[in-house]
Amino acid sequence: MEKDRIKQAYLDYVLRHNQPPASVYQLTQQLDLPETEFYRFYPTFAAIDRELWADFGRDARNRAAQEPVWAEYGAREKLLAFYFTLLEILKQNRSYALQSLHRSMPSVPGFTPRVLDDFRQDFETFVADLLREGRLSEEVASRPLVQEQYPRAFWQQVLFVLGFFAKDESLNFERTDAAVEKAVTLSFDLVGRNTFDSALDLARFLIQSARRG
Amino acid sequence: MSEPTPSPAPSEPENQPQASLPTTKVARAARFAKTGLKVGANYVKHYAKRAAGAEVSPEDLHAANAAELYGALSEMKGSVLKVAQMLAMEKNILPAAYAEQFAQAQYQTPPLSGPLVVKAFRDAFGQSPYELFDAFEPQARQAASIGQVHFARKDGRALAVKVQYPGVADSIRSDIRLVKPIALRVLGLDEATVRPYLQEVETRLMEETDYALELRRGQHIAAQCAHLLHLEFPRYYPELSGARILTMDWLGGQHLREFLATEPSQQVRNQLGQALWDFYMHQLHTLRQVHADPHPGNFLLRADAGGTVGVLDFGCVKEIPAEVHRLFTALLAPETLEDESRLAALLEEAGVLRPHDAPALRQLYLRTLHDSLALVGRPFRQPTFDFGDPGFMQALYALGDDLMQQPELRQQREPRGSEHFIYLNRTYVGLYALLTELKARVRTGDASDTAE
Repeated sequence: MEKDRIKQAYLDYVLRHNQPPASVYQLTQQLDLPETEFYRFYPTFAAIDRELWADFGRDARNRAAQEPVWAEYGAREKLLAFYFTLLEILKQNRSYALQSLHRSMPSVPGFTPRVLDDFRQDFETFVADLLREGRLSEEVASRPLVQEQYPRAFWQQVLFVLGFFAKDESLNFERTDAAVEKAVTLSFDLVGRNTFDSALDLARFLIQSARRG
Repeated sequence: MSEPTPSPAPSEPENQPQASLPTTKVARAARFAKTGLKVGANYVKHYAKRAAGAEVSPEDLHAANAAELYGALSEMKGSVLKVAQMLAMEKNILPAAYAEQFAQAQYQTPPLSGPLVVKAFRDAFGQSPYELFDAFEPQARQAASIGQVHFARKDGRALAVKVQYPGVADSIRSDIRLVKPIALRVLGLDEATVRPYLQEVETRLMEETDYALELRRGQHIAAQCAHLLHLEFPRYYPELSGARILTMDWLGGQHLREFLATEPSQQVRNQLGQALWDFYMHQLHTLRQVHADPHPGNFLLRADAGGTVGVLDFGCVKEIPAEVHRLFTALLAPETLEDESRLAALLEEAGVLRPHDAPALRQLYLRTLHDSLALVGRPFRQPTFDFGDPGFMQALYALGDDLMQQPELRQQREPRGSEHFIYLNRTYVGLYALLTELKARVRTGDASDTAE
């Protein structure tokens, strides 16, 4: 398929030259295509970058779900399996991943690099589904209002993991694995029923009592 | 076993404020260490007893420092405990009450999640454990020191699969680097004097993370000990093992405490004790390579065939240099105890006594070491020894307490003696503790004959 050829050629170019081609023309000429052909699929190179990242995310979700134990996993383990598979994929594409992140790194920390926009949308949907599933299994506490913000909070976790992976200097990026494991455990401790809920419950009770009295 | 370490403090102990150590803090330390306990039950019993009964000597440490150290350590748990454990191995470095507690703390890595276990297998074999084995239990059966053990089946065999936490080797290294200077400063120790000891412990800890090494050593020692009776070693499976995964046979049997709860007969206990004794003597004297972690969690006991010991976990193996072996054996020989000048010469060679020691101190060392060696060497001087004699272990612990009560020795902060003795001591203490718990009567007398 033409679209895949363009995407692959772009990826190869970035890997080889450590930067995107100077122009669309340069790339299409290399592929022996008229330049207009490119615009049928992508408006800019940046769109290819976003799509490549979205592909990483989709591959990770699909591959993780193929694991025979996937159905037995709870929400926490599913998220972990997603991360570990994603890291596997990123390890195979680390040069491109670092290069593209670096190129679109926002100056303000905590903000999302543009290149991750599509990846993020898919991820937040994925996490929202996981959390819904988790609420059914009572892995996740039901907290109306607050819980609408969870996917965004989990997105920050993705940024943390990617940042950790980018800076990880341990062999085979083992430290990133440990970081993922700990971060996900923490996040599920936070969204699970915990002290916060009991405190809130007491506070609500006291307020109601005060009103009555 | 020797007590090679007390030595004169070059620092000025009289400067240290003698504030009393808040007992609640100590109690909390004990409780904390107890909850974090992964090691065998009989150690717990001994140490808990001591923590409750033994007097805490507050002079040992600046009280505030001790509290601070404990606070810091308990908060940082996992990582720092490794270093605490290192320090605890030399009793003179940490005050006894702390040392004994911390000695029990294994590094506490949290359990690995199912997906992380799968990832470890994918990294090592490109396959998930569910593909690699015919059956694989996602829930770990037990915690290992730096990972966990899963039960699996392949080709009809029951297997134990040890999976290591990722990045453990890395974090041990960086923890040591991070914590060592703080710990040394709080304890008022000089880095240079304790360096060989710390290095020795660090080396062993790092080796424990190397499963490939453990596999080789396990196979080697099992082959070399194949002729010994009533011992069982798991077979290792190199094709199912990697740097972070170790697959071996799943051995049957129970850990010491559960086994004792089944009230095995004296005969069975004797046979188990004898098997352990022969195993250790063979390693110490013939192989000069010893399974240096004889805590109860590493042995599985069964009553069949009159008592069989399964030996697990060759993560901590101490190789004994010939020179050290000679010294150690000579120190335990009965003739040495009767001849003070010979004892002095050996201790000087071992670096415990130094030529420039003041005569009074030298005498003190000689006397205490004579007593320690007499006690520790007692089993060797009899054809059979009854480890069921409660007086023996008590005497051993009382001796430790006595040593701590002597002001001259208590103020010694500079460890002495060969660093190789650390793990040899630990081996003997562990072995004796096991045998005492078993209340076994063991033929010990011919031990010196088997020493080549």
